[in-house]
Amino acid sequence: MGVHVFTTMGTTVSLRFAGPTAAASALAGVEDAFDEHDRRFSLYRPDSELSRVARGELALTRSSVELRETYAEAIDWSARTGGAFTPHRPDGVIDLSGTVKARAIAAAAHRLDAAGETDWMLVAGGDILVAGAIGGEPWRAGVVDPDDRGALLTAVELGGRRLALATSGTAERGEHIWRGAGRASAPYSQVSVLAEGIMTADVLATALVAAGPERCQELVDRFDLEVLTVDLDGALTATAGFTQARGLARS
Amino acid sequence: MRARALVLSVLSSVAVLTVGWQLGTQNQQAPSASVPDAGAPGPVASSTPTPTPTPTPTPSTSTPASVSPSASAPTPAGASGTFTGSSVQTRYGAVQVQITVESGTLTDVTALHLTDDDQRSVSISNRAAPVLRQEVLSAQSANVQGVSGATYTSDGYLTSLQSALDQAGL
Repeated sequence: MGVHVFTTMGTTVSLRFAGPTAAASALAGVEDAFDEHDRRFSLYRPDSELSRVARGELALTRSSVELRETYAEAIDWSARTGGAFTPHRPDGVIDLSGTVKARAIAAAAHRLDAAGETDWMLVAGGDILVAGAIGGEPWRAGVVDPDDRGALLTAVELGGRRLALATSGTAERGEHIWRGAGRASAPYSQVSVLAEGIMTADVLATALVAAGPERCQELVDRFDLEVLTVDLDGALTATAGFTQARGLARS
Repeated sequence: MRARALVLSVLSSVAVLTVGWQLGTQNQQAPSASVPDAGAPGPVASSTPTPTPTPTPTPSTSTPASVSPSASAPTPAGASGTFTGSSVQTRYGAVQVQITVESGTLTDVTALHLTDDDQRSVSISNRAAPVLRQEVLSAQSANVQGVSGATYTSDGYLTSLQSALDQAGL
């Protein structure tokens, strides 16, 4: 098994292959996918295109197709989650960090596919996407216990229509979960989402933390996913897919 | 390719206008109607469209009105008997229901087939129910290759946990 680790977008990316590590050109393509997104969308980079939009130096209507396309996609997710997910900070600044990492992961996956790589796991700052299997067995991923980060809440197999796993918390770095004014603070301290695509997993994890338990059922019904939630008291809830995962049992 | 770029550009412009409007309304209430997918690129899994003839997923509380489309035979007034609906594919797998009618009144709805892709029976309502920790798992004992956690942990434990897995070649 080959492992390639690199840092980008302010986090660590771990890419492992069931077989030998991919060719250097494929690895460079993966790193480029993240770096390109970081250069355009990072609000930590004053010279990024999105930072220029945020400062009012660049009108949205004159921004790149990529930026407008990404913004449109984020707006679409906001609508599809009934506003639980939003790409806007309370002050109106456009913050696309809620979708950009998933886009970068998806772009990296596309490059791995194009390079003919079939069995890999990509872990980017707590978001996971897999393809294929490892040694004939499904890839396995753990969910960190937010109250004891040395331990895992559960371990799940990734395969079939569950290729992506993302986790969001209430105190995320960058504070990219924005709540509407007057809304009570989220009773969920952490939400993990299993889905087929990394964008669905990432956006819905964020949306569920923001929306809280009262809207959990509605969002679970609307999308094809499994969820594992941790509330502020440490109590867990899970949909059927997680209930059967290792380490968890129906109460 | 050019056509696609043009379409995306137009859609993006529309989105920009939409957002301008949204920002104008302080409460940022998103429109409840589904916005057309603005060409979401990449392997983004969109929500699976639910087939329209899906039977009501909660048989115990079904009303006759919501069930009647799934029955294969019309029920004449005063009819009695059981009627079996056709099998319908849903995101939960194949669903088929049987209704019991007594003197023209629906008295029971039974789910005949609720199976997932692996033909196992599943509950049609994917509800997040309380669960308990059964055991304390470590990354090593759980035999995982990756660890998922909220981003803020990535600076510390999440990274080191993943790093340990990477270095151990696990």
